[in-house]
Amino acid sequence: MAVVQNRLTDIDPQPPLLEPGHDYGTLTDKVGDIVDRKPHPRAWIVTMAVASLLLLLFLNAVGYLFVKGTGIWGINVPVAWGWAIINFVWWIGIGHAGTLISAILLLLMQDWRTSINRFAEAMTLFAVACAGMFPLLHMGRPWLFYFILPYPNTMALWPQFRSPLVWDVFAISTYATVSALFWYTGLVPDLATMRDRAKNKLAKIAFGMASLGWRGSARHWSRYEMAYLLLAGISTPLVVSVHSVVSFDFAVGIIPGWHTTIFPPYFVAGAVYAGFAMVLTLAIPIRKLYHIEDIITMKHIDNMAKVMLVTGLVVSYGYFTEAFFAWYSGNIYEKYMMFSNRMSGYYAWSYWALIFCNGFVPQFLWFKRIRSNVYALFAISIVVSIGMWLERYVIVVTSLARDFLPSSWGNYHGTIWDWATYLGTIGLFLFLFMLFIRFVPMVAIFELKALLYSQKHNGKAH
Amino acid sequence: MNNNCDHPKLAQLQSRALVIGGAGAVIFLVGGLFFGREKFFQSYLYAFLFWNGLGLGCLSALMLHHMVEGRWGFMIQRILEAGTRMIPVMFVVFLPILFIGSRVLYPWMPGGALADSELIHEKAGYLNTGFFTIRSFVYFGVWIGLTFLLNKFSHTLDKSGDQRLGLRMRWVSGPGLVLYVLTITFASTDWGMSLEPEWFSTIYGPLFIVGQGLACLAFSTIILSKIAQDKPHADVMSTDYFHHLGSLMCGFVVLWSYISFSQFLITWSGNLPEEIPWYLNRMSPSLNVVAVLLIVFHFALPMFILMQRRVKRGATALVVMAVWIFVMRTVDVYWIITPAFHPKQLGLHLMDFAALAGFGGLWIYFFVAQLKKYPLLPLNDQRMEMALAKSGNGHSEAVEHA
Repeated sequence: MAVVQNRLTDIDPQPPLLEPGHDYGTLTDKVGDIVDRKPHPRAWIVTMAVASLLLLLFLNAVGYLFVKGTGIWGINVPVAWGWAIINFVWWIGIGHAGTLISAILLLLMQDWRTSINRFAEAMTLFAVACAGMFPLLHMGRPWLFYFILPYPNTMALWPQFRSPLVWDVFAISTYATVSALFWYTGLVPDLATMRDRAKNKLAKIAFGMASLGWRGSARHWSRYEMAYLLLAGISTPLVVSVHSVVSFDFAVGIIPGWHTTIFPPYFVAGAVYAGFAMVLTLAIPIRKLYHIEDIITMKHIDNMAKVMLVTGLVVSYGYFTEAFFAWYSGNIYEKYMMFSNRMSGYYAWSYWALIFCNGFVPQFLWFKRIRSNVYALFAISIVVSIGMWLERYVIVVTSLARDFLPSSWGNYHGTIWDWATYLGTIGLFLFLFMLFIRFVPMVAIFELKALLYSQKHNGKAH
Repeated sequence: MNNNCDHPKLAQLQSRALVIGGAGAVIFLVGGLFFGREKFFQSYLYAFLFWNGLGLGCLSALMLHHMVEGRWGFMIQRILEAGTRMIPVMFVVFLPILFIGSRVLYPWMPGGALADSELIHEKAGYLNTGFFTIRSFVYFGVWIGLTFLLNKFSHTLDKSGDQRLGLRMRWVSGPGLVLYVLTITFASTDWGMSLEPEWFSTIYGPLFIVGQGLACLAFSTIILSKIAQDKPHADVMSTDYFHHLGSLMCGFVVLWSYISFSQFLITWSGNLPEEIPWYLNRMSPSLNVVAVLLIVFHFALPMFILMQRRVKRGATALVVMAVWIFVMRTVDVYWIITPAFHPKQLGLHLMDFAALAGFGGLWIYFFVAQLKKYPLLPLNDQRMEMALAKSGNGHSEAVEHA
């Protein structure tokens, strides 16, 4: 009775999650060789050199900051947050894709997370490390950072628990801790694989210690699966909570442009959006450089592009509702902020650049032709990263520069030291990421094998 | 497979719905004569927003299903489609509000309590009767258009087996969801937010979107439980699908809580004169009880209960949870809408119950009639075959790791 015209496999062919031709051994070799057999490609050395230079720039910028104080930055009295907070939110947002891929997609049983979760999580860790720099440096006296922690002290002083800035401290430190644990737990079986493969004595000892005595017994696996699932459960609310708390930093205040109820979900979507853009920015060159296109396939790239499209639409919805309700509200401050201070006025360039990058450009992702073109995707992912930075620029700078009283208005510009610190953290990020590629299997080998197993035994090598 | 008409549980549901709906409608209409036009339309709007929201929830869930093509979606696809076909009916139900009731309900309309306020003059570009009417027609036009396309493709696919129709449903659903989100944002602003025209909140639309989705999931779970043991579902059903629906409900419960709490926290902390009255109108000894009910029974308890694997896999327990959530959805809509008519008062009235039961009973009666018109599972859809193959033909899947 089944009548079928135009079979689905003909009219809508899907690339596989793992290209055919692999067995368990070749998968181990393919990923493991990158770490311990093959020489590193020249591109790795060049990137590492650039990253190291930028890292030096960062150390310089921070060193000079310690000598002179935060006055070397562009911050002034109405715009006291400036680039430091923009960069903080930007980096923290980027981290979110890693957690979403590893935790939420695991719970949703999405098998396309397998090839990309390891390096996405690594990206999360390094992005959080970069993000953490900015609030600490912005304090002016970072050596007194522990003042923000609630601890019994002789001055009988407690932080203001009603301030979202204090919530941030808890949110970010929890996020960093759980992400690190999650990443490391997932690494253990592969570290043991690397230990067993290692020919060099030093590597054997190092991987041996790092793999915590993993022997791959049934009991180990059973405990591991349970621990990993629990960590995924713990990480899942963090995907939402961290950036919601970051959005409260703004929305709990009453400044027009900050105080709006859509902020929490809109920030979370923006974070995932920026994060997936960064994963694509990293994945597209890496899969080519290390010839792992058969492991990180076009299916992964396509799915990531789709997630970017969805989150990009949510973010655009955020821009749209802000503008619409500013008009609908009939409130002069809301209207002024949206129409005279963002869409027009001194900072209009940043608003329209943001709409172009985050609202217009990702619309190309509706088309399958674009989603299957890695060059186009790479370009779009870079544009989105710029757009997400601009979004935070618009939020932080335009709102603070023009608050309720015209007498307290003031314009803001980043200085060369703002640039140096920002580019410096990009250096730090790349530096850590290049080390990660060098020393740790960047794809979860044992999860690939599980994927291969399920492909073989469900009879669908689709 | 086509002969669903004598499905005993559906027939029973339908006859009960007709009795309840008929009784509710009679009480509501007669009550209208006693309690006056104002109360009549207030209860009317409340019941309309809830039941129309259910149909719209079906539309969004259907489009989401066509985008993700998960296994659970195919099990309830026909339920969702039948739900969307109630939107045209609700359009007819809406007309009395549009042409008669709106002047009683909306204080910004000519002759309303706030019609002459300065702020309303400021907002007249959006809040004016003509534009309001045009917008309402546009919303229904979009929803009915999407309903028409998705139903037509689906039923043609049953007959012809042309797989291009499956892809076409996917293509319609992407832009369709964008249109849905935009129309709900404006419709909730028009029909709900503008009851208190001085107030505004950018997350109000998403609050409705998530609420409608949750009501629809609960409703689909209840209906699915009635047909799961009989053919054609019996051949492909597994507890996994209830498990997935339970997880989705849990997720939506959390999402609803997240959005509601965000709106509250941001408004409360700002404490601005143009925003806080909305919450002040909903804070009084009697309304606080409703708020606590929502926190405990719409968030905390369902979330923790639905996290239990046992509950999601036990058919009865899950249906109990679905009914529970469905009832709490009516409470939430009541809390959002009706304090606009009687600030700081609970104002619970016989007319509210009568309207809810009357509209609901008749909604379900016509819904079941629609559900019976087509096969209860899609036919000839290879997307469904592929989705089911993933779990080994619907049998319980063990998450296997080598």
